[in-house]
Amino acid sequence: MAEHISCQEVIELVTDYLERALPSEEASLFEQHINFCDGCEWYLDQMRATVAAVGRIEEEEVPPETRDKLLTAFRHWKRT
Amino acid sequence: MIAYKFLRRDGTSVFTGFRWPLSADAPGAWVDAPIDPCRSGIHACRPADLPYWVGHSLYEIELDGDIATEQTKVIAPRGRLLRRVGAWDDELRDAYTRMCADRAHELALGASPPLEQWDAVIEPSVPEGPALLGFVAARIAEERYGAAAYDAERARQSAWLVERLGL
Repeated sequence: MAEHISCQEVIELVTDYLERALPSEEASLFEQHINFCDGCEWYLDQMRATVAAVGRIEEEEVPPETRDKLLTAFRHWKRT
Repeated sequence: MIAYKFLRRDGTSVFTGFRWPLSADAPGAWVDAPIDPCRSGIHACRPADLPYWVGHSLYEIELDGDIATEQTKVIAPRGRLLRRVGAWDDELRDAYTRMCADRAHELALGASPPLEQWDAVIEPSVPEGPALLGFVAARIAEERYGAAAYDAERARQSAWLVERLGL
């Protein structure tokens, strides 16, 4: 039975894919999409680059006001 | 087990960037990786899987150990490249892309009423290459006839590739 994922679903799943948290079948569909969709391949590359850069930042390196803004944004995000 | 693997133009894996050991006149060195589907292990195609993973360069790969079988791929703990499949060249990639585009037109315009919105995406997709056109043709088949038609179209694409590649 045919199954596919859309570009929107790639965006929703990209973090889980990079964290290797997707179930095998879903990861396979994700990679099939990446294989034919240049836009999503570019997005995945950008996310990899972002994780590589931001993943090196320690919590102490984030200025307090930036930290507060981020926490506020994430609290709001969880409510919506 | 003999299987097939698509790599990028530079000989690296499409998803991991791993650089496969290659030799011009002999099999490459064995590569070991514990099996964890889509995370680790040597991922490769059976002939029927080729359309799902079409890429720039195609290699014959020898797999060893306990091989896991998934819907569109096989995964082994050990593998080595045997040879590049020379028939998968620019000319055949273009021919496959054109075949998929023509088939997509046939499926879209043969519907009643014609799937004109689907048909409109075909030619603009051609420059994106064979992987996208294979998907487009299969999706139009699915849109017209249902989910089983997607798999049938993929099987049709595989048969085309197997015949031209002499697999």
